[in-house]
Amino acid sequence: MRVPLGWLREYARFDASASELARRLSISTLEVERVLEAGVPRVEGNAAHFVVGKVVAADKHPNADRLQLCQVDVGNPDPQQIVCGAWNFGVGATVAVALPGSTVFSKDGEAFSLGEAKLRGEVSRGMILAEDEVGLGKDHAGIMVLDDAHAAGTPLADVLPIWEQVLDVTPTGNRGDLLSMVGIAREVAALFDGELVLPEVAEPPIVHPQWIEVAVDDFGACPRYLAKAYRNVTVGDSPAWLRARLGLAGMRSISNVVDVTNYVMHVYGSPLHVFDRARLHEGGIAVRHARDGETVRTLDGVERAVDARDLLITDGEKPVALAAIMGGLESEVGTETTEVLLEAANFEPIGILKTSERLGLRTDGSNRWEKGVDPHLAEAAAVMASRMIVDLTGAELVGSVDVHQGLPERPVVHLRPQRTDEVIGLVVDETEQREILDRFGFEVDESWDVTVPTWRARDVTREIDLVEEVARAVLDRVPRTMPLRRQVAGHLTRGQRLRRTIEDVLVGAGYSEAYTWSLVASDPDERALRLPEPMAAEQAVLRTTLVDGLVEAARVNLDAGNQSIALFELAHVYCPSGEQLPHERWRVGGIAEGGYAAARAAVEVLHSALKIELVASRAEQPALHPGKAAACWWGELHPTLLEGTFGAFELDVDLLAESVPERILYEDVISFPANLQDIAVVVDQELEAGTLVEAIREAGGPELRVARVFDVYVGDQVPSGRKSVAVHLAFQSDDRTISDDEATLQRERIVAALSERFGAELRG
Amino acid sequence: MNPDELEHAGLAAAAAASTTVEIDAVRVEFLGRSSAIKLALREVRDRETGMRLNAVRIALETAIEERADELARADLDRRLREERVDVTLPVEGHRRGHLHLITQIRREVEDVFLGLGYRVVDGREVETTRYNFDALNFPEGHPARSPLASLFLDPETVLRTETSPSQIRTMEAQEPPVYIVSLGRVYRRDTPDATHTPIFHQVEGLVIDEGITLADLTGTLDFLLRALFGEERRTEFRTHYFPFTEPSIEAYVSCHVCDGAGCHVCRHSGWIEVGGAGMVDPTLFEFVGYDAERYSGFAFGWGLERIAMLRHEFPDLRELWRNDLRFTEQFA
Repeated sequence: MRVPLGWLREYARFDASASELARRLSISTLEVERVLEAGVPRVEGNAAHFVVGKVVAADKHPNADRLQLCQVDVGNPDPQQIVCGAWNFGVGATVAVALPGSTVFSKDGEAFSLGEAKLRGEVSRGMILAEDEVGLGKDHAGIMVLDDAHAAGTPLADVLPIWEQVLDVTPTGNRGDLLSMVGIAREVAALFDGELVLPEVAEPPIVHPQWIEVAVDDFGACPRYLAKAYRNVTVGDSPAWLRARLGLAGMRSISNVVDVTNYVMHVYGSPLHVFDRARLHEGGIAVRHARDGETVRTLDGVERAVDARDLLITDGEKPVALAAIMGGLESEVGTETTEVLLEAANFEPIGILKTSERLGLRTDGSNRWEKGVDPHLAEAAAVMASRMIVDLTGAELVGSVDVHQGLPERPVVHLRPQRTDEVIGLVVDETEQREILDRFGFEVDESWDVTVPTWRARDVTREIDLVEEVARAVLDRVPRTMPLRRQVAGHLTRGQRLRRTIEDVLVGAGYSEAYTWSLVASDPDERALRLPEPMAAEQAVLRTTLVDGLVEAARVNLDAGNQSIALFELAHVYCPSGEQLPHERWRVGGIAEGGYAAARAAVEVLHSALKIELVASRAEQPALHPGKAAACWWGELHPTLLEGTFGAFELDVDLLAESVPERILYEDVISFPANLQDIAVVVDQELEAGTLVEAIREAGGPELRVARVFDVYVGDQVPSGRKSVAVHLAFQSDDRTISDDEATLQRERIVAALSERFGAELRG
Repeated sequence: MNPDELEHAGLAAAAAASTTVEIDAVRVEFLGRSSAIKLALREVRDRETGMRLNAVRIALETAIEERADELARADLDRRLREERVDVTLPVEGHRRGHLHLITQIRREVEDVFLGLGYRVVDGREVETTRYNFDALNFPEGHPARSPLASLFLDPETVLRTETSPSQIRTMEAQEPPVYIVSLGRVYRRDTPDATHTPIFHQVEGLVIDEGITLADLTGTLDFLLRALFGEERRTEFRTHYFPFTEPSIEAYVSCHVCDGAGCHVCRHSGWIEVGGAGMVDPTLFEFVGYDAERYSGFAFGWGLERIAMLRHEFPDLRELWRNDLRFTEQFA
């Protein structure tokens, strides 16, 4: 929403600069995106070089067919000669003149300094202006013709906003009332202790009264429909001042009648629409929901299919507008129009929002209706529009009708002023609270029952809403304190600490953390949850594994030529539960150059950090090399997934957490040193080391503290089909030193057991 | 052999030795098995001569050892001098990984609040519309309820659009006082570009206790912002609107790049918008069965990516999801 300050000052008398205004409004009312400078180029004193002129003579330039030679009275004793290329005016016209010394915009928007010049042999002292040359619009078709009431020599800045500042503001969703000049003016007057001056407009009289048929079949969707009819309308261009104001407000001038509706919408925030009444069946209106299969051709020329959810404006026979969103093409007001029906209605937000979303059609009007518009505003808007249509187009008002089933009552809310202080944490004395509310348009009675103004009736319904009104006015005075914290429990949970440990261990092991999308193109689990309307096919499924994201992340790094790629991610996966919400489980996954060993090393270091015994078993895992895959899971990445040899793993953090010991008990490994023994046994090549070690542990008894494979040999030294497995053994007790004899005995018992179970032979 | 002469010759030889090899030779010559002094000691018969010879032996031993030590030390010094390296050269060392930038900020925020006595709560990402919208007082027709803005699994199930559902779940699970933060992924139907990604991260804060005020909220956020952006920062709070808080505010911090003078980072305003906050709306209390007269509270929900981008000034949010190590390794 654009707020030209000159325009704003018509409705609010206040003493503040644009930047003070922006700052105060930002804190207490709405977001101010920026302050724009509009009008002539910003050169100091430039505005003084622009005046109103009267054309006292205009003839063809003696040396150029396309130029006029004008004598223009600019308030000096003698008129001055100005050469002009436009022909849309003649003798007697009131025009805008830039005097030599001024800086104006060229056709291309470049600022240039204007001097006296000779054009085709004739002196030109100044320039008769088109609107684009003073930054008031884009039009360069002709010069601006001003109201003849302005005297020659009047500073142009008194007539047109050629030196103007414009606030670009965005109200929050609950403050539809601020999408209007009057709404902003009310805030400004309140915040700067100024005076609110609402526009006072005398409604034109009705001549030759006519009946206007208006029927509304759903007051829930359309609580009010106010219509006014005019005849003898002359559709044409808007006057320069109106065009200039619309331009500053960010709107395009279309025609006097349409411009009036946009102008008044900007003033009050209640959108208006005009129909060519001659195109309406018997000049009437019927508001109803669409019928299935119905279509309406909107102003943009698009034929739109509508259904029973959409509200239409019809003339009793055919749709003539998509209610609150866009008018119909057929009933559009054009240059031929002489009879006009003005719609000043009120629509409820929800239905409009849904229709606008479904059709993908948003307009200045729908944007306001969506936020909720005060139905009381329709009348003031209709009166102002009526006055302007009559004044600007020479029309006569022939009828007026206001259809509603009673307008909403103003809510009354009780406020405890001490509650305000309790919520804010600042004492705002009662007199000030009363003043603040009063200035925002609330009526506070002796017992603190507060009557809410109509334009705030939608969002102020409770005591806390009134507290907010006071709070926002004093927001820059609120002190900074800390909560009392009667009870504190500042610690991470066990699971949270565990996740930090996992992250830190992997970082220490050379892995960098990756973040990858939770949404993937497809998932190995066919029950994985699928978005019915994904943003893209690549983000359609909620993943049940991290591996795809990590493979992609590794690929990005491969393509970038990065070395020593090692990545991990700790994130949720979403496992279908058969209920509404999936099980969200923490997983840690990793991918690293170095194949199987890299994955196993990472999994080992994680287990060791968490004090969990690593138990491995062979498994099938589609992402892994079929011969190098361990369950739950790690292994070598399947070579079809990525170029090079990568290891990959994915562990369920919640499962790991279950195995982490609650506390770690001290073992005396210092008083009595361990007795170290190595053995090498020859077994079948198929026998897995894990099975062998398990058997060693079983046979070794409680004093066998370590059994770790350190070498596997296959070759000439052992028979074909067999391998030699070398294992470190450590025997230790906490009450005595284990002697070599005792250790040897244990060792022999182990070898015997292996021989019996696996046909193992002691080697060397 | 005259002991005096022997001593004199030995001391002179030790002093003259200039290498460890020479001093070893001197030791053998003057103190070895067949040295004159050893031979003489073997031959000695009278106490006086014996004492004199022993004194000479000790003097020679001492002198030779001292000289040997000196020479060994000189040898070592020479070797060490020769072993010098170019300390400006890198070595193939231990390769360290890196936490993701968002994890770093996440932990920083968590640690600030752990220090203030808050708990960290894990939220869930797939939510019911009841927790994501209804309980948070989103009115019917609020833009976030539209499938154009949010990612739905079905009409009642949505990928959470903010971390706020964790507020409701926490309040349902316990009685006040509540002091929590909750951090994690949130989802919006935003086409990825330099400043938007459909998945991003928020930190949610919630405090419910007796006598909690808007001033407590501004004080807490002031503390957090200065922890994140520097002790010397100033903060400002502006009115805003959220369905789940009333009054609602938006927090601003003075620009950490220009300190308020105006630069490209703060778009020449001197202030940087960080995120929304407010006093918990009494409607939420009703939903979870808290007494709104007895308790009050505040909540805030901020984007972690925004903090990261402001602090490190990288131009494109999507880098956080590409995981190019050249990007990741720039940060701590």
